[in-house]
Amino acid sequence: MIGRHPFSPFRNRREPPAPTEVDLARNRLLIAAGLTAAAFTLVAFRLLDVIIMPATQSQKVERSIPITKHYVSRADILDRNGRIMATNLNTASLYANPNLIQNKAGVAAKLAAILNLNAASLAEQFESKRPFLWIKRHLTPKQKYAVNKLGIPGLDFANEQRRVYPLGSLASHVLGFTNIDNHGLKGIENKFNNTLSNSGKPLRLSIDVRVQNIMREALLNSINKFHAIGGAGLVLDARNGEILSMVSLPDFNPNLPRKAKNKVLFNRATHGVYEMGSTLKIFNTAMALEHEKITMQSGYDATKPIRTSKFVIKDYHAKNRWLSIPEIFMYSSNIGSVKMAMDVGRVAQRKFFKRLGLLNKPQIELGEVGKPIVPEPWNDIHSMTISYGHGLAISPLQLVAGVAAVVNGGVLYTPTLFQRTRLTIGSRVISKETSEQVRRLLKLVVSHGTGSLAAAKGYLVGGKTGTAEKVVGREYKREALLSSFIAAFPINAPKYVVFVMIDNPVAIKGTRHRPTGGWVAAPVVGEVISRIGPLLGVKPINQNDPSVRDQMTIRVLTMKSGEKRLVSF
Amino acid sequence: MIKRATLVWMALSIFSGIGLFNLKYSVSEMEDRLIALQKENHSQMEAIHVLKAEWSFLNKPVRINDLGQRELMLAPVTASQAVEIKNIPFRPEFAPISELKSSVPPAADHDPSPIITSKREK
Repeated sequence: MIGRHPFSPFRNRREPPAPTEVDLARNRLLIAAGLTAAAFTLVAFRLLDVIIMPATQSQKVERSIPITKHYVSRADILDRNGRIMATNLNTASLYANPNLIQNKAGVAAKLAAILNLNAASLAEQFESKRPFLWIKRHLTPKQKYAVNKLGIPGLDFANEQRRVYPLGSLASHVLGFTNIDNHGLKGIENKFNNTLSNSGKPLRLSIDVRVQNIMREALLNSINKFHAIGGAGLVLDARNGEILSMVSLPDFNPNLPRKAKNKVLFNRATHGVYEMGSTLKIFNTAMALEHEKITMQSGYDATKPIRTSKFVIKDYHAKNRWLSIPEIFMYSSNIGSVKMAMDVGRVAQRKFFKRLGLLNKPQIELGEVGKPIVPEPWNDIHSMTISYGHGLAISPLQLVAGVAAVVNGGVLYTPTLFQRTRLTIGSRVISKETSEQVRRLLKLVVSHGTGSLAAAKGYLVGGKTGTAEKVVGREYKREALLSSFIAAFPINAPKYVVFVMIDNPVAIKGTRHRPTGGWVAAPVVGEVISRIGPLLGVKPINQNDPSVRDQMTIRVLTMKSGEKRLVSF
Repeated sequence: MIKRATLVWMALSIFSGIGLFNLKYSVSEMEDRLIALQKENHSQMEAIHVLKAEWSFLNKPVRINDLGQRELMLAPVTASQAVEIKNIPFRPEFAPISELKSSVPPAADHDPSPIITSKREK
């Protein structure tokens, strides 16, 4: 049998190979088998590679399922310590396809009972032919459960997110609020709407929730005590312009923005512009010192009121004698201030106020910013009244930024609601020497002048009172006051500027005190400083320490029994 | 008659086929696990998010202040409570511990006890 077989190897031995059809087929088979083997070898190698070799980074990314990066559609807002001030929470919203609902009146009644809605109007809405109808947005978990339990076809839930402000009304004017579709309408929410909805990265503010609460509490107490209609409070870092607290009262709950009336949405700290009164004497005095029109030893005769064609300028705490510069400041003499401004001249005065940023709309990360009301033209009458804070209306924000510049060594920083990430560059507005002199004057106001109630135990406070008569109709009214106090502490090397303004305080019955800045606002500032000082890590100062005394003592020239004498404070 | 080489190749292809299927199933199994873990991760993150919001709500300064006063009898820190390290005096002399024990009366003798006395009454 062997040998006859056509594929037998022995056959080839006997006969020389000939290119038969069979050979051709055999060769083709071999090539095909080789290719298949090669392919399988490749597969085997790849198998080994996949199983044994660790995957590279790009392979890992390719294979993983895309992860939704932001599980909230709007980023959080945090305070400077990372405390959540605004966040998004998932909620369910109920909608219906009215075409699918059978017993419309019955369903409407059942739903209305669960969701506190009007059954009749709901039933009416069910009659529409639209395939989509919102019944209620943002249900509570309990409501959702109850609706689910009804098991009515044609009703469905949409997962939505709701903006939540866990701290309630604490910083309502800073944060603002959003509408039901999470679109920012006021405050930071409005100004940074795009950043918040696109970046997914939390926004960190310069506000300190603790400081904010202390300011709000103290301000609210005072407003209630004096039956005032409102107020504003600010705490600003004098060294870089960061705002630690911004309060405007009355305020609102941003969780329920629709309940807030327009009046309470108004931000008095940035949007309102006011004739601030005597607090502007800080700028006036700094200006006269800077222009070398006065020294700490010079003074003015304040015996007689100044008469102009339209009105008479008098002193509230009238001394009716010659007053030195420190006395003019500590007794808040209008007559002395007017004379200082006249010596400087209105052109230079305007220029100085402009340099302090008081004549332009200030920059801040909010939409609600008021433009100052500047007299046009700036004539001599205005120059006189502005010296003691009337005739020029500025916002509390501008005042605070300006005073920070005057006390911090003379550098003006743009105020901000965000933490400064790098060294801020300010612009120099007055010299270091002038700044130092004004600081001594501010200390004098608290230790011996109209601001004594702002003293905080353990902290060196310097400040200035402001009591402005408000314009009611077309006239200044003696009874309608805007009482304020602005302070810096520690005044020998200021770190923070604190401002409190109370709108229309009323004298408490049974006291003879007029509700002035020194009586109404200064105690609030004192309380705020004594509470935020330890929180912010400001070192308490022993006032009797010789080096501190040296920094703060001031020699005041005064008139006693007809002659000038030097008194040390 | 089948050649040895063919056998080897057949075995190889069967094994690689089995290997491939095994791999495919283990990969899809792992993918399922990955999705499950990611879902779990997602819901945990969401839960953390809610808890953070609640934490912030419960830490409202007004509430903390109230609780501190009511339950712990704490008051805000004042400037007089801050002292510089260099101003803290050393103990006048270092007495051995055995003596200390006898000479120092227990704190409760001269300090009002800081134990919580207020109880919630409703």
